Amino acid sequence: MALQRPGLRDRKAFRFPPGYGDNKIVLLVRDPWWIFAYWEVRKEKEDEILCKISDSGDERERSILRVYDVTGVNFNGHNANSYFDIDLKGLVSNWYINVNSPGRSWVVDIGILTKRGSFYLLARSNTVHTPPFGMSDQLDAEWMIPEDEYWKLFGLSGGFGVGKGSLEVREIVTKRLEEQITSGAISSSASFYRKPAAKKFWLVVNAELIVYGATEPDAKLTVQGREIALKPDGTFSLRFALPDGKQVIPVEATSNDGSDRLKITPIVTRKTE
Amino acid sequence: MPKGYLAIVLHAHLPYVRHPEHDDFLEEDWLFEAITETYIPLIKVLEGFLRDGVDYKLTISLSPTLMSMLMDGHLQGKYLGHINKLIELSEKEIERTKWDERFNKLAHMYHDNFIEARHIFKDVYHSNLVNAFKHFQDAGGLEVITCSATHGFLPLMEVERRIAVRAQVKVAADMYEKIFGKRPPGIWLPECGYNPGDDEILKKEGIKYFFVDTHGVLFGTPRPRFGVFSPYLTKHGVAVFGRDTESSKAVWSAVEGYPGDYNYREFYRDIGFDLDYEYIRPYINSDGTRVMTGIKYHRITGVTNHKEPYVPEYARDTAANQAGNFMFNREKQIEHLAGQMGDRKPIIVAPYDAELFGHWWYEGPQWIDFLVRKIRYDQDTVALTTPGEYLKKYKKYQVLTPSFSSWGWKGYCEVWLEGSNDWLYRHLHKMTERMVELASTHKRAKGLLLRALNQMARELLLAQSSDWAFIMKTGSHVTYAVERMREHTENFNELYEDVKNGSLEEGYIKAMEDKGNIFPDIDYSIYSS
Repeated sequence: MALQRPGLRDRKAFRFPPGYGDNKIVLLVRDPWWIFAYWEVRKEKEDEILCKISDSGDERERSILRVYDVTGVNFNGHNANSYFDIDLKGLVSNWYINVNSPGRSWVVDIGILTKRGSFYLLARSNTVHTPPFGMSDQLDAEWMIPEDEYWKLFGLSGGFGVGKGSLEVREIVTKRLEEQITSGAISSSASFYRKPAAKKFWLVVNAELIVYGATEPDAKLTVQGREIALKPDGTFSLRFALPDGKQVIPVEATSNDGSDRLKITPIVTRKTE
Repeated sequence: MPKGYLAIVLHAHLPYVRHPEHDDFLEEDWLFEAITETYIPLIKVLEGFLRDGVDYKLTISLSPTLMSMLMDGHLQGKYLGHINKLIELSEKEIERTKWDERFNKLAHMYHDNFIEARHIFKDVYHSNLVNAFKHFQDAGGLEVITCSATHGFLPLMEVERRIAVRAQVKVAADMYEKIFGKRPPGIWLPECGYNPGDDEILKKEGIKYFFVDTHGVLFGTPRPRFGVFSPYLTKHGVAVFGRDTESSKAVWSAVEGYPGDYNYREFYRDIGFDLDYEYIRPYINSDGTRVMTGIKYHRITGVTNHKEPYVPEYARDTAANQAGNFMFNREKQIEHLAGQMGDRKPIIVAPYDAELFGHWWYEGPQWIDFLVRKIRYDQDTVALTTPGEYLKKYKKYQVLTPSFSSWGWKGYCEVWLEGSNDWLYRHLHKMTERMVELASTHKRAKGLLLRALNQMARELLLAQSSDWAFIMKTGSHVTYAVERMREHTENFNELYEDVKNGSLEEGYIKAMEDKGNIFPDIDYSIYSS
């Protein structure tokens, strides 16, 4: 590996690899209704399967994801509760799958569907579980309370009062989760509570006044009665925000030996209409 | 005797951003702003409680990345440079605003605050603010807990889950123990991201409790007996606390939330953007980009572009009133729960991002100050507690498996798993797999190999920060987040190849160690299967 100097390699050369030479599919849970799959299929694996298909006198129809509901099942490829297929088009390598069922378990195969309807497996995923959405039906004998008291505590916890039925509660909870009551914002430029402007078009006008001048470098200078340090060449420059109204700005210089004294007083008025 | 309890939990976290190769680096300002605007103001509030003998109970989680930055000499030095510049700017501002008393008072306020911040940072805590939090914990009152090592979002660590999650938790707990002299009592799971089964890992690391969002408890199995008003024990014996909705909304809600009050300081009007370019140029980013300075002179005023000058007295009154309102509502809540809770008193758990207080919500630390004192002196219904303290009150808790959840938008993983950032996981998972592979095949590595494997563990952890995915989703600083992901992925995979090919180079590893210098004591064998 060529090094320009120790410790450095050419950063520009780095690209995220499109794949790692694996043959696999991985599932992630996004929420109770959606799972996410990404995959990578090795060329040799696909060729091998295509050979098998043509050897059997069949033909490739299309690539698919086969989504199995494996809730409560020790899945062996054939014993899922149910499944559905998703057609893959083009060069996709990931997919959001709407399983639309909280509280279930899922496995996804990527494979090839043939003209005769046979399915050939390319890769099988991990098993994931979509979380339940709603209050559990499972009761704990040791900690039982009357049904309406569960609902009361549920309502108080969720901040939506009491006496709501389970359907209504699901709706309220869904809505509540969509209100963004966390920020996670880490930087000044991420927007937070309010969008900065009520209306897009805007105008701000401010005025500042620069008072500057020069005298003998060893002189004593005051502006509005306050002593100002001169630069080595005897110059000075002061900057003021200028509000509406009148500013009287006496500038007074006194020579080093105190024998000479000069005073100049600019008067500035700002009026905003 | 109080009828119930309130636990306020502040979660302090920033991603690890440290660029010694630049004198001035935009994203390092996140830390500097948070120090001046959040951590030091909170420290001042806590100092006030100690000084006045106010019996208080608060909980704070300090993420290991944040603590690492607070303890880092290079960043400490840069912070001093940063605050010195702000002091210089505020001096100029005192001059510039001389003719306008409304702004001049504020310029003085900032100047005083900056001088005090420097004093607290440098003289009181010797440039290491972790000392401050240790001090308050040792004095009683503050319960400091941990977070996962780099704020990795645990629910999406699907490949080699047990090992990946364990590494995030163990590195954090070990670091905590080194600093605070004991195992962390609790952990703030990043973004409250919980995956059933992760509790076993927490248990093994000696952690006693964690938090989930409201629905994590409400949708737990079996049906929870106490709503979110009591902790539960998971199957592996770790306590879990659920977030209360009402108290969260009061602060967080964009519509009803306290921080939006019109008397409060307007975050978006900053002199970094407002003032004449030539004047402000030395105090903005060195490349000339205007950035916020932290000096802001206006109040929110209303839904209008016209902003009135900030009046600290108005804001202070509002903070006091809102603290009173918050306390009153918690009293009502607790009274409402009387008779519902069987043999125990309810606990209301109110967690917030620490950086909300002071940085976004300028008056937030003041609000906490008022709230704590009011609760202590103005009523008897509710008392402050910490989760650790509450757990000592009862012997028995219901056993519950909390549901998979997070406190992010929509309650699950959508913030960190969507079009802008879903491509990350393919690489993160591969790195995890490779790390486990090498850690399992090279037990007891020595010398250069040991250094390479340890550095790989650091690069992997840094790549796992949930912040990168979050930034990609929110859309600002995206280039930086992608670059960080690229850097850690490249470093990791280059080292992987070098280990595999036996072509390790000392200089190359050294450069990475100097840059990604977090977790000096890391031991790659946490990844061995």
